[in-house]
Amino acid sequence: MRLTALDEVSERLGLKRGQGLAEARAMYPKIDVTDEDEAADRALLEAVADWCDRYTPLVALDGREGLFLDITGCAHLFGGEEALLKDVLGRLFHMGFDAKGAISSSSGLSWAACRFGRGGVIADDDMEDVLAPLPVNALRIEEGTVKALYKLGLKRVGDLMPMPRAPLARRFGTHLLLRLDQALGADEEAISPRRPVAALSAERQLAEPIQAEEHILQLTGQIAVSLKSGLESRGVGGRLFELVLFRVDGRVFRITAGASQPLRDPKRISSLFSERLTAVHDDLDAGFGFELLRLNVLQHDTFKTIQDDFTGDGQDGISLVDFIDRVSARLGAECLQVAELRQSHLPERARIFVPAMTSRNMRAEVETVFAFAPRTDRPLRLFRHPEPIDAFAAAVPDGPPERFRWRHIVHQVIRAEGPERISPEWWVDPEDAPERDYFRLESEIGCRFWVFREGHYGGKTPPNWHIHGIFA
Amino acid sequence: MAGNATAQETLFALREQIARLEGKPLPALVAAERAKAAENPDRQGARAGRPRLPLGIEQVDAALEGGLPLDGLTEIRTSLMGNAGSASGFVLALSAYLKTRERSEAPVLWIGDVVSAQEAGVPYAAGLKQFGLNPDDILYAWPRKLEDALWLAETAAASGALCATILEIRDNPKHFGLTESRRLGLRAKAAGRPLFVLRHGAQEEASCAVFRFLAEPAPASERRLPDGSVLGGGIGHPVFRLILEKSRNPAPLSFFLEWNPRDRQFSLARKAAEISSFRNPSAHPGARLPAPADRQDRSPALGSVVAFERAS
Repeated sequence: MRLTALDEVSERLGLKRGQGLAEARAMYPKIDVTDEDEAADRALLEAVADWCDRYTPLVALDGREGLFLDITGCAHLFGGEEALLKDVLGRLFHMGFDAKGAISSSSGLSWAACRFGRGGVIADDDMEDVLAPLPVNALRIEEGTVKALYKLGLKRVGDLMPMPRAPLARRFGTHLLLRLDQALGADEEAISPRRPVAALSAERQLAEPIQAEEHILQLTGQIAVSLKSGLESRGVGGRLFELVLFRVDGRVFRITAGASQPLRDPKRISSLFSERLTAVHDDLDAGFGFELLRLNVLQHDTFKTIQDDFTGDGQDGISLVDFIDRVSARLGAECLQVAELRQSHLPERARIFVPAMTSRNMRAEVETVFAFAPRTDRPLRLFRHPEPIDAFAAAVPDGPPERFRWRHIVHQVIRAEGPERISPEWWVDPEDAPERDYFRLESEIGCRFWVFREGHYGGKTPPNWHIHGIFA
Repeated sequence: MAGNATAQETLFALREQIARLEGKPLPALVAAERAKAAENPDRQGARAGRPRLPLGIEQVDAALEGGLPLDGLTEIRTSLMGNAGSASGFVLALSAYLKTRERSEAPVLWIGDVVSAQEAGVPYAAGLKQFGLNPDDILYAWPRKLEDALWLAETAAASGALCATILEIRDNPKHFGLTESRRLGLRAKAAGRPLFVLRHGAQEEASCAVFRFLAEPAPASERRLPDGSVLGGGIGHPVFRLILEKSRNPAPLSFFLEWNPRDRQFSLARKAAEISSFRNPSAHPGARLPAPADRQDRSPALGSVVAFERAS
């Protein structure tokens, strides 16, 4: 067992990471040790990263204990780089984190300055001066390379900088030089953000935190107004919106809401969220209130501008779309479905249900599908799975049953139509899938059923009878 | 005196409010309507008050006072889950009929019940196409809870964007009583779109529905060939046996209704009635004994028949 992390007191005592637990106990018998919980550490770091979304949309995790924030173009919103860094560290300190931070033009230098230097904002001209006195560990290189460098007396980064590059690369590989170049900003290094950057985003900082749902909705409407011009200038409307709520204590809630057609109207956007908020009501704990609201457009589509005519018609279409959006936002997109016909002659494959939001009919471009149109009658209601029945007598080999038992009730057949043979689809089904002979039956009280016989009489196994649907 | 007049006025206002709640024509409104009708007589047919959906059959329409309400609740129930086919058939036929009549592009919303879907299947697009409804004409909703279903029905009725709303319910759930149905009825009335409540395997219950039908299966009509002759033994257009349980008529009306999916028309099926009565003879054949002339008739039985007396 080894030490993986230390607090300030134990650091001052001289304990080190990677030290054996027995050794540490021998030195200081009174130290408190708890088991490492990697998942919890990770969750905490993720939560902090979520909270950091308020500064920039590009937040990346760095190992187990660090975060990269790409603040390109964001610093002026917080009053400059100094102020931004102070704000981040100050807020984190008040939440109980002892964090160090550095801002520079390269992620490598910031990493080194946080861990081995004094941090702070590093101007482009000072990059070499800051990096030079740091130990070679600050270059994020492997342990073996560090040891080899130490053996040669190359302890500081400054020792490496004036050295000829070719022998270094030959001796330690190109990785060392790559890291050095990255730290000095001579080579590009991309960070991998946790979340995709929203196409459009607008936010509102609040001086006084809000708690009530109606206030959230009202604000969402206001933020949507500021999104509208952005959407208009691109000629698009949003299909998927995300409302990010930053709680005072650092917790972040994300609520997404989809629309079946591109949306711009702030009122309708906020009404989408009004349904979503009702749906997630229990999960959304307002606590002491939210201090920052952000509205992201995650997906957008071309917005079709339709000129209104004077008849005042066309309102129906809009309210239908609105209805679909509201229901999908509240009960989930899967709740509202549309049936579509497919090219298959097996009854259960001839139609599929698709969510109304993504359905072809609701979209602008409608393509015609040549679906198989059966000549014979199809039932009004089809069972999800055919149910087995006991068919008592059948005119062998191809006749309908005279009587059958379904769900413990015997039905006397008065009239019958059929058979209609439906063969399995050899391009989907296995080779030995049996054929089905369908019959329409009418019982004596007038119920009409759709039953089929699977297999043939006189085969190895007797055929099975199933009921597949009922007629009106 | 002045106080008396104010009280009268309040009383009238309250009466009007009650009448409005109950959906009855207001005396003042009726007078205004008559005056308007007198001004332009050609609009007399389109009564602004309550739009109706006539089924195109004289006797039935007379019993329905002009047709099913287009701005209210209509309930169709079955006594057994096994009769789901005829009840759903009637509701869907009504929707197809309404869509054809109004030439409406708006879809019909089917708010399904999950258990009923397991028991009696889900509406099948290919079958519906033959029945008179295209796949695009129906939106299906599968809410998990009854509360969600009621919310959906209410939102759908209030949006006015749908041609009709069908709410499928099983049994007599506790959470769907008179209050809830009245709520739905008011929404439907405000939007002017019909709402059909399809209740499987349920008892009669107080509700806000203007009409309630009990649907039962009936033998289908014979299959007709293009030249008009009848093909023996075939199963033709569907026929529903309907009993108008709740209406303003004192006696329930029973009739056999045939749906022609190709013409999208209803008609009375007399043949089916004969076949049905032949196949299912009534439980008590023969006329009741005539009332005695020389003494008092025995007092009629109180309450409903719970169990028949022993036959042997």
